[in-house]
Amino acid sequence: MQGHFSAFSLVDRITELEAGKRAKGYFDVPAHVTRFPISFAAEAAGQLAAWASMVHLDFGLRPVAGVAADLRFGIPVCPGKRLELETTIGHLDTEAVRYSARASIDGVSVIELDHSVGPMLPMEGFDSPQAMRERFELIRGKGAPAGRFTDVPEHDLEIVELVPNERLRAILRVPREALFFNDHFPRRPVFPGTMLLDAQITIALKLAAESRAWPPGTSFAASLVPDMKMRAFVPPGEIVELQIDFEADSGENRIMFKTAARVRGKRAGMGTLEIESRVGR
Amino acid sequence: MSQDEIKKEEILEVFPTVAKTIADALGCDVDDVKLNVSLIEGLDAESIDFLDLVFRLERSFKLKIPRGKIVEDSRGDLSEAEFEQKGIVTPAGMERLRAFLSEVPADRFSTPMKAADIPRLFTAETFCKLVIRARRAGASAA
Repeated sequence: MQGHFSAFSLVDRITELEAGKRAKGYFDVPAHVTRFPISFAAEAAGQLAAWASMVHLDFGLRPVAGVAADLRFGIPVCPGKRLELETTIGHLDTEAVRYSARASIDGVSVIELDHSVGPMLPMEGFDSPQAMRERFELIRGKGAPAGRFTDVPEHDLEIVELVPNERLRAILRVPREALFFNDHFPRRPVFPGTMLLDAQITIALKLAAESRAWPPGTSFAASLVPDMKMRAFVPPGEIVELQIDFEADSGENRIMFKTAARVRGKRAGMGTLEIESRVGR
Repeated sequence: MSQDEIKKEEILEVFPTVAKTIADALGCDVDDVKLNVSLIEGLDAESIDFLDLVFRLERSFKLKIPRGKIVEDSRGDLSEAEFEQKGIVTPAGMERLRAFLSEVPADRFSTPMKAADIPRLFTAETFCKLVIRARRAGASAA
């Protein structure tokens, strides 16, 4: 299947492993990609935790979606750089994995996350256990071929309401077809939670920019996700209603927003997100 | 006092923290978290929320709660086969469940009941009792 183990597989090689306990590895961000959202660094770190968990359970189960807590953003990811990944598994059983993880470039933190939780679900429903075993042998050995990852499509986002200092509502049209669905996951395509987070960051940056009389040259970046939870699978072609609500000034130059994602009126995702303004940087 | 017996004062002592933890996990107002509210039917909780909630309670109360503890404890000394048959809770299982989830009104125990539907019965008080039992288990293990 085109895109399987390439379009959304963000671990090239596992360099150290204690199955079910900890792992280190890396992902080389291809120089040819035009954009690598910082939430994808969290995806890469989460995928390393998933490999460390799945191998311990002989690929009968895999973590899917779940909860991210205390996700802190550092420097942005430049194409052509190597993302160094590490994870520590705090708890693993047949119901759930809880882990912390870090991604860095040249020793500088890109993301750090603590207390993330992924429910363990039957692998058969999402991918071939045998294909996953073979993939694991490759990335635990010589590593995956470089440069497989290509750009993911731009979000199809339509802002339907923007009230400065209060809220922003938008419609996200999930593509019906995209290569990343062949990888996430071949037997059950699911819109990745980290792509949803990227869409939420995109609109939160817009709301932040529209909410103050910022000095010229001010730029904005996501700095913290205290918590984010995926409560339902979002399939291809779905319409997602996104809402960002101003919650509080959480410090000098920082604004905390509440985030919500609804599918057919049902809460598919929820969380909080902090945006930082950077004057003259 | 038997190990299973839980006093109302104990529940009320942990309830404020449990209620805040539930509100944080479900993204609802803490005032909506009443002691007898069903988390699924009253607060729109999903299975991922229960997983999230148990991990949050562990952090809030600094204790260890084994996964699946409520369902496991609700079986008591019944074997899995005695408790459920082909996914349906047996009469003996129902009796044990009613005693274990004594905080749940009797009319909410529909029969036949699927074992998978047991979480629909859980209220905020169920999680208060979970915390209290985990504290006792921690204390007796220490």
